Amino acid sequence: MSSAPPAQAVATDKPSHLSVIVDLSPSQWHLSSQPPPANTFPLTLNSFLSQLLAFLNSHIASKHENTLAVFGAFPGKSLMLYASTESETINPSAVDANSYPPFKMLDSTIIKRIENELDQLDTDEESTLPVALVGALTKALCYINRISHFSAANVSKAKLPDSLTTSDPHILILSVSPDLSAEYIPIMNSIFSAQKLKVTIDVCKIYGPETVFLQQAAHLTGGSYISLERRDALLQYLTMAFLSPPSIRKALSVPTQDKIDFRAACFCHKKIIDIGFVCSVCLSIFCQPVPVCSTCRTKFPIKILQRLNASRPPPTPGSNGLSRTTSMSGTGGLPHSGSIRTSTSNGTLR
Amino acid sequence: MSKRKDNDFMDVDYDSDISMGDDDDFKVSKGKGKGKTVDKKKKEKGKGKPKDVQAYTWEANFARSWDTVQEDEGGSLQGAVNEFMARGRRRRLLTPGSAIRRTIIRHLVLLLDLSLAMLDRDMRPTRFDLTLQYAREFIVEWFDQNPLGQMGVVGMRAGLGERIGEMTGNPQDVLKAISERHKLEPTGDPSLQNAIEMARNSMSHLPTHSSREILIIFGSLTTCDPGNIHDTLDACVKSKIRISVVALAAEMKICRELCDKTGGQFGVALNEGHFKDLLFEMVPPPAQRNMTSRGGNPAADLMMMGFPTRLPDTSPQSLCVCHSELKSEGFLCPRCLAKICDIPTDCDICGLMVVSSPHLARSYHHLFPVSPYDAVQTLQDASFIPDCHACGRLFPTTPLTTVTEGLSPTGRYRCTTCKHDFCSECDVFVHDVLHCCPGCGK
Repeated sequence: MSSAPPAQAVATDKPSHLSVIVDLSPSQWHLSSQPPPANTFPLTLNSFLSQLLAFLNSHIASKHENTLAVFGAFPGKSLMLYASTESETINPSAVDANSYPPFKMLDSTIIKRIENELDQLDTDEESTLPVALVGALTKALCYINRISHFSAANVSKAKLPDSLTTSDPHILILSVSPDLSAEYIPIMNSIFSAQKLKVTIDVCKIYGPETVFLQQAAHLTGGSYISLERRDALLQYLTMAFLSPPSIRKALSVPTQDKIDFRAACFCHKKIIDIGFVCSVCLSIFCQPVPVCSTCRTKFPIKILQRLNASRPPPTPGSNGLSRTTSMSGTGGLPHSGSIRTSTSNGTLR
Repeated sequence: MSKRKDNDFMDVDYDSDISMGDDDDFKVSKGKGKGKTVDKKKKEKGKGKPKDVQAYTWEANFARSWDTVQEDEGGSLQGAVNEFMARGRRRRLLTPGSAIRRTIIRHLVLLLDLSLAMLDRDMRPTRFDLTLQYAREFIVEWFDQNPLGQMGVVGMRAGLGERIGEMTGNPQDVLKAISERHKLEPTGDPSLQNAIEMARNSMSHLPTHSSREILIIFGSLTTCDPGNIHDTLDACVKSKIRISVVALAAEMKICRELCDKTGGQFGVALNEGHFKDLLFEMVPPPAQRNMTSRGGNPAADLMMMGFPTRLPDTSPQSLCVCHSELKSEGFLCPRCLAKICDIPTDCDICGLMVVSSPHLARSYHHLFPVSPYDAVQTLQDASFIPDCHACGRLFPTTPLTTVTEGLSPTGRYRCTTCKHDFCSECDVFVHDVLHCCPGCGK
């Protein structure tokens, strides 16, 4: 230890904070656990949780000062499942001679709370609601804000050198649900506050289609977005890509994002669009020309509407393919253009 | 300076921390003919400059900043801290909770006074250095909040307007323009008219739906103009240019008139902190009151925009349409799938305006602000949930005895929509940074 050069020691000795947001949508997890004809690599909630707990334990174990918070996004509700700053007394009867008490406490707390919540859901029949990802994300940010404030106050009082101020917080989102376009603005607001707090957001897409907003979240905060290919190897993905704190990532080769979709959701129908109409006064996005802005009540001149309607791409699904072929012939055949937007070409341009 | 003033401030000179009175200061101030002798005896000023209306900073009354913070009987500072927080809450409550119309696409020309008056040392280290420093912070913050805005810089010195930075949307370019201090060394007298004309001409081609603003940082008390400045003022009013002035010396009639007639803001900086506050008041996009009050239709426009896909560094190389260079990274125009190097831009092939949607989204919190939380007054009103809904901090179980107006004695703040309770720290964080309630997601 003493042989390590001091500069490096400073960089690597920092404790790190990890906030994990777990998407616990029962319907999505049910789909994910379907046997092979539906999924090549099925992943059940139970096996997911056991791998997740192993990952959380390894985060706690990798440094004594490391802190952890776990947030659950349930249908229509979000909840803090575990926080390492909340001191909870361990039930002495539950102490097992073969287990390390902090791990035991972490595992049992998380499992117990998830079970409670899921049981309540079944009775309430509300499992069809969209998951409260925004709630969980904003709570994670509030919590990080709280611990960074707390540590700053601590330092000024006690001059503790190894306090939490040095921690570089990161958030890991384990997502199984598709994009919630209705939550576009809150998600973007959360991303910008994460940028302000210098929080890195990592996204691990376990099941379901790619989510545009989470791609943007990872890109804008300098995190990585990984969509799993082999879902049975979840723990390996988690450990190799997301265990290292952001400060060490520079020295490691963490998988980066493939391509990032900068699409937005329109305000009128909450559709995700790639060409939109934007009000010049308030920058509201609409998927079709509207005479009056619904946000700021600005009336647009009729001439502009006519011009825009004329220039709109025809709503036939063939138009997209047409524009792609013309662009290929026009610019000498772009090698990438054929592979892009295979999933989005139908239905977004209309 | 009167004799009386000299006596009054005699002892303050010695114990204030800003009266270091190092030799450099005295040499410079003597050189400027401000007759200040080392033994602090006032001589009569030979050529009293007009801006001598202000006292030297080291003669000014000492700002006893610690007096504003009062300990309570227990020696705790909690009461003072609460007072500050209550002030912040009241300020927030004043801002309307509903959406107001703001100009989002802004064009601003920053007019810097580079006349000799800026070498005055009433602001530390000099007005000029402080202005440059604050201007840099202002530019960064301004582009952060107005990502679609454009800014140019014009200087006023030696009776001329001088173009320092072209109108650009890149904060780095603007910062670079004012980065070289020796190129901006103050000389001569300023000319408001020349500089405003120059700024006006550089904005004359802009589309009607964007705002045109001029922000003047003015240290001098004179302006040396070739013609009638009121003609320039009328021209600005006609082309809907909003002029705001931050004066460093004193209020001038013409500056006040420039702001009043064009709908801008005018302020005289009292000290360094106030200067910064005045400057940063220009950062958030201005509400478009003048247009709505007139009842006329603001020149609005519906623009077609495309949101591109970004290609990673690892993608196969291809030619970009803007420079015809072979590169792997870039953005794909959503309509014609041409590869563009940088956004925001107009696609070279199909002419579509290609922007990144996060750029647009940055301003949405102005449109949909979080409505202020209600302070929960008594424990009976408090819900049985013991901790903050957002960060999990435990609420105090006993209410505070000393209550400041606007603050909750129970430390709970309740969202009017979702009825969840939040702690005071989260209340501040949600409204100032997050702009999204953790309980209801709105």
